[in-house]
Amino acid sequence: MASVINANNLTLAYEGGKNIIINNVNFTIQQGEFVFITGPSGSGKSTLLKSMYGQIKPYDGTLMIGGLDMSRIKKGQLLQLRRNMGIIFQDYKLINEWTVEKNVVLPLIITGYSLDVQKVQAEKLLAHVKLSEYKDKYPLELSGGEQQRVGVARALSKNPFLILADEPTGNLDEFSSGVVWDLLENACDQLNATVVVVTHKIPTIFNIPYRHFIIESGGVHEVH
Amino acid sequence: MKSIKEHLMFILPLMAMLLGIEFILIFNRVTSNYEQKLKNEYAILVVSKKELTTPIARSASKYIQSVEAMNREEIAKEVTSGMQDNALVAILKDLPYFYRIHLTKYLSLDELKDIRAKLKKIDGVLNVEIFGETYHSKHTMFRLVKIILNIFILMLFIVSLFLVIKQMEVWQLAHKERMQIMEIFGAPLMLRSGVLFKIAFIDAIIATLLNIFIFIYLKSTWAKNSDIDFIRDNQASFLHWSDFILMLFTAIVIVSISVFVVAIKSSEVPQR
Repeated sequence: MASVINANNLTLAYEGGKNIIINNVNFTIQQGEFVFITGPSGSGKSTLLKSMYGQIKPYDGTLMIGGLDMSRIKKGQLLQLRRNMGIIFQDYKLINEWTVEKNVVLPLIITGYSLDVQKVQAEKLLAHVKLSEYKDKYPLELSGGEQQRVGVARALSKNPFLILADEPTGNLDEFSSGVVWDLLENACDQLNATVVVVTHKIPTIFNIPYRHFIIESGGVHEVH
Repeated sequence: MKSIKEHLMFILPLMAMLLGIEFILIFNRVTSNYEQKLKNEYAILVVSKKELTTPIARSASKYIQSVEAMNREEIAKEVTSGMQDNALVAILKDLPYFYRIHLTKYLSLDELKDIRAKLKKIDGVLNVEIFGETYHSKHTMFRLVKIILNIFILMLFIVSLFLVIKQMEVWQLAHKERMQIMEIFGAPLMLRSGVLFKIAFIDAIIATLLNIFIFIYLKSTWAKNSDIDFIRDNQASFLHWSDFILMLFTAIVIVSISVFVVAIKSSEVPQR
């Protein structure tokens, strides 16, 4: 299996190194793995995830994502890398002025796919997340669980090699959370995508093998 | 309604800037016409014992266009009117030559004084009259008006620029979230700011067209029927076709800069 994420003596910090969040950690995540990252509030889970999509640059050490060094990556390369990722947020980050259908195909719009391809893919994805009847609605007309399903559909729309999810069920009820976990399980199992999920709680019922990292006191420890 | 207000908030200051540019263009053309008129009507008077030719006079200044000899006999006749016939011959014998010197461009009073001094040094030249004060006072007045108008237009431009910047902040607030989400998913700058470019270009075209309509009206109705001769005479100076291109170009440059600033300010800054 190829390594998708590789952290080598990685240190993440804010304020030019004054505030160290993750200190000198090493880990490797392979293609097709499902990884949970847990830890107390403020431990740096989201910071670690942000570094994986380039919103925070490593302060020290290296972080390789898809073979690219995130501390030296150029803006154009970063945008290109992000086009092949799926990112899911706790607050959904949907574009409220756009319809559900358009939100779902955002990665396809960015890549320049034709309207026909966008339409076909939107139908398929919305059926997959059971939101076909909502395609012409706007995000604010949907419940939190429905909005997150739109977010997951958007993340899956380009068959990404890596899916990063930051507290994807943080604002959802039990039923909606179950739907989101099922969708992420399927993405990993059927699409062979690498899925990294930051969460405060691992679901009790989970049907595929996974790895579990705990972040504590600036270190990343794997639970076996 | 909100959308119309947002468009107007950008179109109006843009129109003010374009109005300023067009006013400057018109005023420069009018000034240039006026200078041409002054230049055409103006001549330096030279009295000389010897004949003066254009090449000789040009040694005093490269701005001398031509030397026109005045009819000596007519002058002598005027002087000797009522006198005996032989008086005309005697006066003609001693009467110096009179010349009008025309210039290639409008010159300042100091330059005229310089030419006078140089002309006086030419062999045979007895006197040089530049009529400087009359000539200069009209033009100074015109220049003063021009400077005041330019200052006024500059102020208008600065205030309008602040309004455009204010509107850019409104745009930034309205579009920042969408642009940042698009950036997270890898959209390049041009795609992220595509909507803004569309709005801005439409506003630029509307602002330019509204200005064109205003000046077409001013040219074809107001200037044509004006009671003031000066405005009627300069009707042609209002709005040339090249102004339309210049205004559209300026509007597009302003909106492009505005959109780029908003797009860059909305862009995430990777932290380290």
